[in-house]
Amino acid sequence: MKNPLIKRLPRELKSEAGKYFVIFLFMVIVIGFVSGFMVASGSLVKIYDESFEKYNIEDGNFELNSEAEDEVIEAIENKGQIKIYENFYIECETKKIDSTLRIYKNREEIDKVCVMEGELPDSKNEIAIDRMYADNNHLSVGDKIVVGDKKLMISGFVALSDYSALYASPSDMMFDAIKFGVAIMNEDGFSAMGENGFHFNYSWKYNNVPNDDIESKKMSEDLLKVISENAIVIGYIPMCENQAIQFVGDDTGKDRMVFTIFLYIVVAILAFIIAITTNNTIAKEANVIGTLRASGYTRGEIIRHYLAMPMLVIIVSALVGNILGYTVFENVAENIYYMNYSIPTYVTNWNADAFIRTTVVPVLLMFIINFVILTNKMRLSPLKFIRRDLKIRQKKRALKLSTKIGIMHRFRMRIILQNMPNYITILVGIFFANIILLLGMGFPQLLDKNQQLISDNIICNYQYILKAPVATENEAAEKYCAGSLSTIEEEQKSESVTIYGLNSDSKFVDVETKMGVLISEAYSQKYKINAGDTITLKEEFGTKEYRFEVEGIYDNPTTLAVYMNRDYFNKTFGYEDEYFNGYLSDEILEDIDEMYIATTITEDDMNKMARQLNHSLGSIFDMFYVFGLIMFMLIIYLLSKIVIEKNAHSIAMTKILGYSDAEIGKLYIVSTSIVVVLSFFLTMPLVNTIMKYVCEIMFMEFSGWIPYSVPHSVYVNIILSGIITYGIIVFMQFRRVKKIPLDVALKNVE
Amino acid sequence: MFLEISKIKKGFGEGESRTEVLKGIDLEIKKGEICVLLGPSGSGKSTLLNIIGGIDNADSGYISINGEMTADMNEKALSLYRRRHLGYIFQMYNLIPNLNIKENIEVGAYLSDNALDVDDILRTLGLYEHRHKLPNQLSGGQQQRTAIGRAIVKNPDILLCDEPTGALDYNTSKEILKLIEDVNKKYGNTVVMVTHNEAIKDMADRVVKLRDGLIRKNYVNENKVSALELDW
Repeated sequence: MKNPLIKRLPRELKSEAGKYFVIFLFMVIVIGFVSGFMVASGSLVKIYDESFEKYNIEDGNFELNSEAEDEVIEAIENKGQIKIYENFYIECETKKIDSTLRIYKNREEIDKVCVMEGELPDSKNEIAIDRMYADNNHLSVGDKIVVGDKKLMISGFVALSDYSALYASPSDMMFDAIKFGVAIMNEDGFSAMGENGFHFNYSWKYNNVPNDDIESKKMSEDLLKVISENAIVIGYIPMCENQAIQFVGDDTGKDRMVFTIFLYIVVAILAFIIAITTNNTIAKEANVIGTLRASGYTRGEIIRHYLAMPMLVIIVSALVGNILGYTVFENVAENIYYMNYSIPTYVTNWNADAFIRTTVVPVLLMFIINFVILTNKMRLSPLKFIRRDLKIRQKKRALKLSTKIGIMHRFRMRIILQNMPNYITILVGIFFANIILLLGMGFPQLLDKNQQLISDNIICNYQYILKAPVATENEAAEKYCAGSLSTIEEEQKSESVTIYGLNSDSKFVDVETKMGVLISEAYSQKYKINAGDTITLKEEFGTKEYRFEVEGIYDNPTTLAVYMNRDYFNKTFGYEDEYFNGYLSDEILEDIDEMYIATTITEDDMNKMARQLNHSLGSIFDMFYVFGLIMFMLIIYLLSKIVIEKNAHSIAMTKILGYSDAEIGKLYIVSTSIVVVLSFFLTMPLVNTIMKYVCEIMFMEFSGWIPYSVPHSVYVNIILSGIITYGIIVFMQFRRVKKIPLDVALKNVE
Repeated sequence: MFLEISKIKKGFGEGESRTEVLKGIDLEIKKGEICVLLGPSGSGKSTLLNIIGGIDNADSGYISINGEMTADMNEKALSLYRRRHLGYIFQMYNLIPNLNIKENIEVGAYLSDNALDVDDILRTLGLYEHRHKLPNQLSGGQQQRTAIGRAIVKNPDILLCDEPTGALDYNTSKEILKLIEDVNKKYGNTVVMVTHNEAIKDMADRVVKLRDGLIRKNYVNENKVSALELDW
């Protein structure tokens, strides 16, 4: 005979349809969303890993100041145990679209190209451009684009295997797929582009592949020495440090970790909510459980019975979530990845890891939490159940509350004390919902604020870096020296620090230093350096190290920079006294020929990271915001519903005594409201501290620095959003209170 | 002897507030007997019933059913003991609210390998036409009949009844008592019934009177009458 208690399950599902539907929906969304990302990122990682062999991705590249002779190449190849491939490129500005295109000759041996739409250029007037750059600038195959002074037809969209993230420079904080793109031309077309913006870039592959990152680092350091002995190196980047190649792999790995943690936190909260609701059901049915136990039903049978429904809902939602994850959400995730990375076309890869993480683990987690709570509860004797005495530890006496406190306040305090486990879960739930809300609302504000800080702290409107020291008639210009060195922190990857040599009477930067330097506030914050400390930096493409005494901190919270007197700069780096290599100016210096200008840095260039992050993550922030609100609503709805249900008998009794619905609402709903509002205010400082910590760890990974600063308005908005959302719940719970009939207080539980 | 209760002692609380509820109960009940435990509130009759039922433990002494000692049993064995030998009827019927009447009785049938026919029981109890109703659609008497059905469907050796008519009116109470009597006659179960209603003793084979945790009277009722003849 089948256990007749099974027949209760569909009826319980029907009678508690609201509760189970909300849990089902929430789990489906969470599991679907996470599994979609897991599947998409898994597929992405697979194709990314395979691309190294498939497209023969380089082990690194270097740039020389001129084309290397064959003997030089041969010498480097022999000494460095590498094979070198010519990988020259031209960088050109595009007309109409404000962007830079880095154009390569079609590569057939190394860093091969994946054609995603159209075809490779066939004639010298054709160009194949990066797919993501094309998307971001609304270009189609067949369109005409003006590059430099050439009008070219777009023959196709491509993904370059060594530019899966469009980093223009290794020192960039973030890739820029809006104003920077890569492209391919055929040999004739490439030759016709002229010499302006030409880069003598070489890629290499090791004869013996390094075994790990440590060996790879050592080999790349040795190779740099070999190349430097044979040629003038102006750029050097081993593959392991090349963000354009590495970023996708690193970032996807982090995504998977973040999504997994997020899923488990949500599942744990839901498991506790379910455990509390199950506890509530047990309390309601205590006498029945006692009778069943007295009749001979075992603990195991009762535990299995009360575990069945929540587990069934979770298993079904996990399965539905997975189906949606592999279909709907996978497409959403794929689109987000395609919006960020220039990756070859991939096919969805069914992977067991995503299934285990999004289905097996949550179901197990849910099972364990519920099983432990139920088993603990079932330790009570059948007699205790029959007597409805379900306290595992007997309370000696009720907490004494001062009679000076009004009865209504005492009543509310008793409700809060009685429902403490529910309210603690509300507090924890609001804590996590606030983290998600802060991510959704705070992060865009943080980026905006950073953009504002960059604008406020920019030295001048135009920073010119010259190829040769030429004069200007413009009196607004001020000579300065600029260079860059690398950090040598052991725990972190090295990054570029801009070194400024400024006139002692500079109108742009106040550098009152003698034999020391000022460092930017960003540098100070990121590396925890203070005035009086000594910093050591090294040549970017060499091994020489420099030590500087830090005399003070310069107010620039967004750029890693060292400021010193121009005389000190020239002395330190071995230049003549009057040497300079750039101008600082608030005006465009029109009398300097473009051929002498290496780079012009404007506010727009400084803002590219915030721009790219906003572009890439904007939709994710919105999703976080909506999800945070849904999570908040779900937790409050389920738990406040339990509080009302648990107190149905008392509520009916207070109605009989003559209390109005409004007065009862003030007792029971206001108690929950107090906890909700308190939870917001109590958790917000902790949420803020955690977010600050998480952001700092995250920004440590970027080159450069973003100071953590979320405007107060964000917190106000989060609290307001929460309170407005809570208003809907209050309305629903008030209706529930009104619906409780008087006879609940008079009849037995049947 | 079928049911042997020996030197059962039970107390509640600690130190000065400790109360000895049962102070040494010795009792023997034959198979198929209806035994009524009488006594005022606090006399220990419900505690004794709970100890017989294995849902409460004695401080000392033992219960033996057909030679099986409950004191030696662990939790699992006690569940099995209740499953095999006992049927329980409470004053508050404790039916499962979202199972219909037939299903509530099936909950009892599930526990036995030799369960009685559920439809037969429903007919015997006069509940057949109500079998698809939920408990809250029935009167108190009908609900208690369902509880009796749930208890007897597994054909237990002993039927333990804790104030089975405590929540019912005069006529319904007599109806329920008649039913218990019929069940006893038809299936031969031993019935142990706790009540504070003196009149019920007349339908018993054995009457046991408790006061202050001790048996004051224990006798075989020579003038047993049918439940329908009871009056109070």
